[in-house]
Amino acid sequence: MNESSSIPPLTNPTIPGISRETHQPDPPLGGLESDRQPIASLITAIEAALREPRRLLFQLTQPNQGRLACNLLFVSLLSAFIYGLVAGTFSGGGQLLAAPVKIAGGLLLTAVICLPSLYIFTCLSGSRARLGEVCGLLAAFLALMTILLIGFAPVAWVFSQSTGSVAAMGGLHLIFWFVATGFGLRLLERGLHHHGAQGGMMRIWTILFLLVALQMTTALRPLVGTAPTLLPVTKEFFLAHWMESFQ
Amino acid sequence: MTSDSSTFDLRQGATLLRGESEEIARWIGRGESKQLWFCLAAVFAGAGLFGAALGEWRSPLQALYGGIKFPLVILLTTAGTTLLNGMLAPLLGLNLRFRQSLLVILFSHTIVAIIVGGFSPILLFVIGNAPPVQASSSASWTGHGVVLLIEVGLIAFAGVLANVRLRQLLDRLSGHPRVSKRIMLTWLAANLLLGAQISWLLRPFVGSPGLPVEFLRADAFQGNFYEAVFHALKNLLHS
Repeated sequence: MNESSSIPPLTNPTIPGISRETHQPDPPLGGLESDRQPIASLITAIEAALREPRRLLFQLTQPNQGRLACNLLFVSLLSAFIYGLVAGTFSGGGQLLAAPVKIAGGLLLTAVICLPSLYIFTCLSGSRARLGEVCGLLAAFLALMTILLIGFAPVAWVFSQSTGSVAAMGGLHLIFWFVATGFGLRLLERGLHHHGAQGGMMRIWTILFLLVALQMTTALRPLVGTAPTLLPVTKEFFLAHWMESFQ
Repeated sequence: MTSDSSTFDLRQGATLLRGESEEIARWIGRGESKQLWFCLAAVFAGAGLFGAALGEWRSPLQALYGGIKFPLVILLTTAGTTLLNGMLAPLLGLNLRFRQSLLVILFSHTIVAIIVGGFSPILLFVIGNAPPVQASSSASWTGHGVVLLIEVGLIAFAGVLANVRLRQLLDRLSGHPRVSKRIMLTWLAANLLLGAQISWLLRPFVGSPGLPVEFLRADAFQGNFYEAVFHALKNLLHS
């Protein structure tokens, strides 16, 4: 190999052509007293996700993070199930069970499908997060997203009881889900930033996650409304299904 | 990462993806065989999953064939250009031994394999939602077109990223951006030249709805990729 007196200093190189995000200065995780308080219970985990994200993100880097990640995953599945119950009240009957199972199951399946690409994108962005830590961050993202959906649930229920339009209810659920996902993604991005991620590579993963999740809602239809079969017999891309629904 | 990490330590893949040039340069300098075995395993696993996902649209048998053939495209291309690329590197200003240049090229191909492998669950999900294959139906051809576009898009995306990392590694090894640029472009030209032809020989990967499921086409060794492109362009211009 060539000898060189001008080899540049070692930094994890970013993918060129993608602008770096600017962040407000944030002390390193664990730098504050509050970060280091352990999270022992489900309620504490929910509180931390909403009010003390630094504490949650720091605890997900600690040796017992597996248990916390499992708690967060449980919270996300339970919250998705509860929100699905609310969504199911639009049609009632069999949808009261089908909608929560499909929404919780679909969310889990979407996360599993997107996890390998999430880990790859975190590595490409320069993050030093291990696979276990990435799983924990994904669980935190899902937990915050679904906790916020629970917050929207009363609003969704009121609309469910006062409108008969499947398209309108579907659109409303999507809007709530987009807002909740936005907050969840912000937490995920913040967590990866603390692990050294730079640049805009995660935006590509965000688009992939949204596309997979939207397609999952069509693959598991109906979530709102009724159908002769539990799952669809024809395959459709979600845009085609939306256009049919709005006609 | 310490030198006593196991051969199949997944963190080696993370190191490649992050482009930690100093660590990778140390691997090349040490000349241990465990990185070679790791790359081979990663290519078989990642490219195999991707090839299987592509073929799954046509049939499970095509998925099996794709899972075998896609890693072969990468490894046969690497093997076929090793001698040439190993000779070109010192001629262009970077004094690498053959084994070292093989490792460098294999590292970039491993990055491609890991990325496309990581996308294979998403690809499989998209394929699962595409219209099924029914001979001679327009929906089948639409589905075929969608799968082809996704395949090309993913491979292009992974290829660009892998070449960015290759360039960064060559910058580190050579210390001269002009040298590393020349070497990267030359290696890329050689790999594309042979890789396109090997892909042509080993087709199909997705499987056309109007043709039977086969490991290789009956006329695989008659003609070549560049002839086919030439004739296609000629027909287009004369139509």
